[in-house]
Amino acid sequence: MDIIIQALINGLLTGSYYGLAALGLTIVFGVIKVINFAHGSLLMVGMFAAYWMVRLTGWHPYAALIVVVPLLFLFGYALQGILIKPILEGQRDVREPTEVIIVTTGVWYILDNLALMIFGAEYRVVQTSISGQIFMLGDYIFPKAQLYGLITTAVTAGLVLWFLKYTRTGMSIRAASLDRDAASLMGINQYRVYNIAFGIGAMIAGIVGCVLIPFYYVFPTVGVIFDVKCFIIVVLGGLGSIPGALAGGVIVGLIESTFSQYMTSTWTELIVYVVFLAVLFIRPAGLFGEKRDW
Amino acid sequence: MKKGEYYYRGYVGVLAAIVMCALVVGFEASSYAADENVVKIGNILPLSGPSASVGIQGQNARKLATEYINKAGGIKSLGGAKIVNIWTDSKGDPNVGVTAAEQLINTDKVHLISGAWNSAVTYPSTQVAERYGIPYIVPVSVRDTITERGFKYTFRIAAKDSWWARDQFLFLEEQKKSTGTKLETIAFVYENGDWGTGMRDQWVVLAKEFGYKVVLDEPYPSTSSDLTPVVMKIKTRKPDVILLTSNAADAILLTNTMATMKVKAKAVIGTGGGHADPMFRKNTGKNCEYMFDVVEWETDLNRPGIPDLNAEFKNSYGYDLAGESVDAFASVYVIADALERAASTDPKKIRDALAETRLCVGDNRLGIDILSYDCVEFEESGQNKHAGIILVQFREVDGVMERVTVYPAKAARKGFSAVFPMP
Repeated sequence: MDIIIQALINGLLTGSYYGLAALGLTIVFGVIKVINFAHGSLLMVGMFAAYWMVRLTGWHPYAALIVVVPLLFLFGYALQGILIKPILEGQRDVREPTEVIIVTTGVWYILDNLALMIFGAEYRVVQTSISGQIFMLGDYIFPKAQLYGLITTAVTAGLVLWFLKYTRTGMSIRAASLDRDAASLMGINQYRVYNIAFGIGAMIAGIVGCVLIPFYYVFPTVGVIFDVKCFIIVVLGGLGSIPGALAGGVIVGLIESTFSQYMTSTWTELIVYVVFLAVLFIRPAGLFGEKRDW
Repeated sequence: MKKGEYYYRGYVGVLAAIVMCALVVGFEASSYAADENVVKIGNILPLSGPSASVGIQGQNARKLATEYINKAGGIKSLGGAKIVNIWTDSKGDPNVGVTAAEQLINTDKVHLISGAWNSAVTYPSTQVAERYGIPYIVPVSVRDTITERGFKYTFRIAAKDSWWARDQFLFLEEQKKSTGTKLETIAFVYENGDWGTGMRDQWVVLAKEFGYKVVLDEPYPSTSSDLTPVVMKIKTRKPDVILLTSNAADAILLTNTMATMKVKAKAVIGTGGGHADPMFRKNTGKNCEYMFDVVEWETDLNRPGIPDLNAEFKNSYGYDLAGESVDAFASVYVIADALERAASTDPKKIRDALAETRLCVGDNRLGIDILSYDCVEFEESGQNKHAGIILVQFREVDGVMERVTVYPAKAARKGFSAVFPMP
């Protein structure tokens, strides 16, 4: 068995769910033009939703998607509609309403602490039918839960791209993301578009939850572990770019898994940041980012 | 713009933390201000963040012990003074811990401080207490140097980490002899905080002394989202023995990933902390079977007071007592005893009384009678010289994964001995 090939496999598998976790962030940014600081908390909500579904019903984690995905979509839709919309309305003439950052930071604190209050600080892991199961290809190990995660990432990204490109709602989302005023003049209800975009972001967090729970633990501040990583991935890949988020995720995953075979794993974080800076130096808009006036 | 947002985030976090601390501390302090006949203990604990689970266990144990002592009449030599706990959340962050210590001493005027579980927080916050001359009880924080700075006001009840490491190696030596297993290579895998790196420094010296070849020396951040790379490294180096120092989340992740990646070793030994957390075996299930852990305390110890207290604790908080919670529980009794003898709330007098502490099992004090070692008595340095370590093995007993005491042999649970090497 060649350790580097195994490390590449692991990096690809890990990177794919990093990318999926960053996808929601990039979509929300692409449309509303503000960074959603509550993104990690949405991941946490998604993970808890998935955890409880599987825990209480004993379903396969991917069967739980049927309930978790609509639930999180509604959650994100309502969150945007109730909390963020008033700010956007108040900042009607501003292209990048930065006040939203503060609101999402508030949401982050409230959600994390609510979870701490309701569920307690302990770590929770649920044993599912795919936990710890592996698939061997020759000498190489593919943990099933992560392999399914890779497939889910590809399918989710494909569906989201298709939705944005070919459906009417998707087109109005893209229109609003290009210019909210012009889109409004064309008869697009921009706030509804934002609700949907936020809903999609939250929905993907729900998918991430279902992907992660067979092998990861859940606790109220689990989002913090992922969200710094998500920010790096999104900026690395290009803010607002869906392929960028996936590529960024895989790059970070590959760096972590391969470099750590030659140095202690604490140093790989440094490498991630060096690559991050180097990419921004050469391509300030990120790998797949487009040069726009914003 | 992007850069500004990152700063913004950190800034908001710090601000919110300060406001929250101020609110909590302010509220608790004001509600007791009217009653003068109290002794205030300021507790610095990780109540949120990666060590929150163990911090809250320590908080619960202190609450229960305080309740018992107050119910039994408080501190009699102080006219039945009640013990009052003031809680501050360190988040496991040294900076927050130091601020908390300053605040407890200056604003809340506490008589003693207790804490802080994370060695990285205990180390600087004891320094604050020393400067102000406020006694600081450390139930558990294993970093050696905490009691090696010539401090007069720091008292540690639990064993320090060089004793933990020493006993891990002594255990291996004993197993080598009794089972004839060949153990040549060793791997160190540890969280990259003060605690993990402190353990690692001890291991390096001991491995040399006992003739092991170190094949892996791997620190990792406790908040890693993925530990597969570390596990792959263990797999390729094929060590006979794996020594681990982990917090709860990473202990769970490492153990489950090692099982998935089919990593085998003759012995895998944890260093308390995350492995001692009840969450660990709940969340790893069969994956942790036959692993070893060193710990200062276990529910199956042969001490008469344990079953009742454990039942009460489990009833109130939903989980068993563990090393951390027992030392925290005992610490309140140590404090109460010192206050009783000091007959004063003057920090200097409390300190002198603490220095003369000699409490042994069988003195009919619940908090002391449940300890795994025989006495609490502080060295000149403030270290409890009787503190000791036991080794447990995760074993399935009647279908339930339990921690079974296997070393030293005389303390082992009846009918059990170590399964070595791990199957």
